[in-house]
Amino acid sequence: MGRRRRLVDPAAEAGAGALPKVIAALSRSLPAGPSPEIFRRAKFDRPEAAPALWQLLFRLLSPRSADGASASLALEAQVCLVKSALRSQGYPRLVLAQLPEDGSRGSRELLLALSWLLARGPLPEQLLAQAHVQLGDEIPVCECEALASPGPRVPHVEAEGPVDIRCVQWLMGRLRFRWRCLIASQQEQCTLLSKIHLYTRGCHSDQRLGHLSVAETEMLRDPEGGQQLLRRLERENTGLEAALEWRRGELVFWRWMDTVLGACPPEAPAAATQPTFLPRIAERGLGRLELAARELRALQEELCEATGRRRAAWEARVGGQGRGPQWSSARQALQKAVEQELAALRWAWEQDRGPARPHGPHRLVRCEDEAPGGQHLRAAEVIQALRSQEACLEAALRRLQGQCRQELARLAGALPGLIWILPPRC
Amino acid sequence: MSIVTVQLGQCGNQIGFEVFDTLFSDSHSSQGLCSKRENEAYRASCKERFFNEEENGVPIARAVLVDMEPKVINQTLSKAAQSGRWKYGQHAYFCQKQGSGNNWAYGYSVHGPRHEESIMNLIQKEVEKCDSLSGFFIIMSMAGGTGSGIGAFVTQNLQDQYAHSLKMNQIIWPYGTGEVIVQNYNSILTLSHLYRSSDALLVHENDAVHKICAKLMNIKQISFSDINQVLAHQLGSVFQPVYCAEGSFHYRRNPLGIDWQVRPPLSGLPPLGKMPLNKELHFNTSIANLVILRGKDVQSADLEGFKDPALYTSWLHPIHALNVWKTQRAFSKYEKSASLVSNSQFLVKPLDMIVGKAWNMFASKAYLHQYTKFGIEEEDFLDSFTLLEQVVASYYNL
Repeated sequence: MGRRRRLVDPAAEAGAGALPKVIAALSRSLPAGPSPEIFRRAKFDRPEAAPALWQLLFRLLSPRSADGASASLALEAQVCLVKSALRSQGYPRLVLAQLPEDGSRGSRELLLALSWLLARGPLPEQLLAQAHVQLGDEIPVCECEALASPGPRVPHVEAEGPVDIRCVQWLMGRLRFRWRCLIASQQEQCTLLSKIHLYTRGCHSDQRLGHLSVAETEMLRDPEGGQQLLRRLERENTGLEAALEWRRGELVFWRWMDTVLGACPPEAPAAATQPTFLPRIAERGLGRLELAARELRALQEELCEATGRRRAAWEARVGGQGRGPQWSSARQALQKAVEQELAALRWAWEQDRGPARPHGPHRLVRCEDEAPGGQHLRAAEVIQALRSQEACLEAALRRLQGQCRQELARLAGALPGLIWILPPRC
Repeated sequence: MSIVTVQLGQCGNQIGFEVFDTLFSDSHSSQGLCSKRENEAYRASCKERFFNEEENGVPIARAVLVDMEPKVINQTLSKAAQSGRWKYGQHAYFCQKQGSGNNWAYGYSVHGPRHEESIMNLIQKEVEKCDSLSGFFIIMSMAGGTGSGIGAFVTQNLQDQYAHSLKMNQIIWPYGTGEVIVQNYNSILTLSHLYRSSDALLVHENDAVHKICAKLMNIKQISFSDINQVLAHQLGSVFQPVYCAEGSFHYRRNPLGIDWQVRPPLSGLPPLGKMPLNKELHFNTSIANLVILRGKDVQSADLEGFKDPALYTSWLHPIHALNVWKTQRAFSKYEKSASLVSNSQFLVKPLDMIVGKAWNMFASKAYLHQYTKFGIEEEDFLDSFTLLEQVVASYYNL
């Protein structure tokens, strides 16, 4: 577990009152942060400090979308979730996994787990960014958020007995219907956004923005809503100030955590020799990987040979054909198709590569002038990128559907005398 | 959320006019049996869906009128304008100088593609006037020639161009003893094409509505105008605003958001009054039912009869299959009214009959040249038969 070193050591001059202040600041910057007293008791592994720390860890580790619903989860359920979340993130100490499920003990271990999380990344800042109050009309430009938070966990229901296929058809139909309703609502939202942006041109104090967003318009229309917005902004400010204060004094905290670690009993030797719990590949699996890699290389060589032979045979057969003028248009069309696919593939590859591509939600601003890029993103470009991605996905879907159809035809063909009539609209 | 209506052919245009008229009269009626504020919310919701506000105040229906001859369109436009209360858009129509026989194939393969751009442009203009598009409502007959052929073509185009919007087709099921010889051919072609490209088919049978006029309303000389008005009343009671949930304060935003669930055709079956419970041993099994209650005492209405599992298929729980919409605001001056929109086996017998008759004609190759002349080949017929047989089978096996 590492900690940051700074050139200047402000904590050295801070004195005895610095630690509670820093811990208090940390608490204010985290959701459901417990009091400094809880931290102190946790150092001595007092049981009464455990529940508050379990709850804090639960809030930090549970997916963002589950905030409202899961606040009412029982302590046992929260304990379970915290344990499995920490394990999957690679928390190295086994003592945590052995703590009782009722959440009654282990406050010191929890304190260590909290510091481990804090040391891994800028946790308070991340949380504040997530809870950031949006004043503008936010539009996502990539799929990352949708993919990262899969939403509330749906209970896995086992079907009792055979399911009537018509029920499945009905469910699919209902799903399609709901999708279309959603799309219609989204289109309506776009039209209304456009209207608001048009009508409020020139109303914004910030010249670069020029027009109001929905939240700002609402604030003007409804003073009570404006007050609520103000309160939310004040809360966010408090959190930011707390995070700043935490950063200024965190060295004091880390020094103190050293003493906490020192107060722990040494881990059992057997436990120490066990490898860090990585959830991915087991020892056996590594051997298999090697084997797979070798097989893949051999397969690749075979494929190269086979394609080489095939190409030679084809060229021998085709001879000089494919060169005449009547082929040029066909060749051009083929070239164009290949280029398009290549561009789409490249785009998809770049997507995975990293932050070069724009990410996350952007504020929607209607602009008359053709100001050059900078950090602004043009809607037309985003639309273009999304369209090409859509085309790729649709092509993939058609391919898969074709494969499915072939498979079905093969299965149906295996039964003599069976006439296969496809349902309309497949 | 707005609906764009496409009125096709003589049938579609005449019915469409009655529908808009009913919707407008109801939304401006003073006998809503509810508070003033509620009435205003109702009116505003209805207006957002069906009408466009203009500067001088006369609402313009969100509709596109299409026909191959000018007579009916001109009549419809002038009737609306004369009332002075609402009107159609000045240029929101498309028609040709001369009609062309009752030929489905001609409508689908010739008229459709030839006038595709003009018609879709008109629709696009209407769509652009909407703040948010809920979907399309296409009114057409099933068995007429050109109207139904073009209707099938237009619906297909809407599917391609507005893939994400909902589409509902209002189809008029012809009289069993209809006058057009090839009406069964037209019907199966229309149904099979619409089945592939539409989201919901709302069916009204001429015979059934005729009976309502004769028996329930005691009209002696039943004209098409009477029939259309009954139809419009039924449609209006389905389309006017309703609350989306118990105790909510806003009217449902998505009027076409009826969860049609599995796609087979629907039948409209609205009695005016309370719904009696069927004590027969064999029910028409439903996939889904939508009950709409309007007027006095809606909160205390007893709907237990609709939750009987015997009414529904075995693989669906009544909770999922039954939807209930309510509003206290009375519809069209009726103190209480109830509508039932049902996706059930109700239409299986009529459909089976039509398919059977069409097949008999097809087997003897009668009148096929009228279709093959314009590009509808025997394979297309066979595809249609296959599809409809599948639909019939799925419904029989519910």
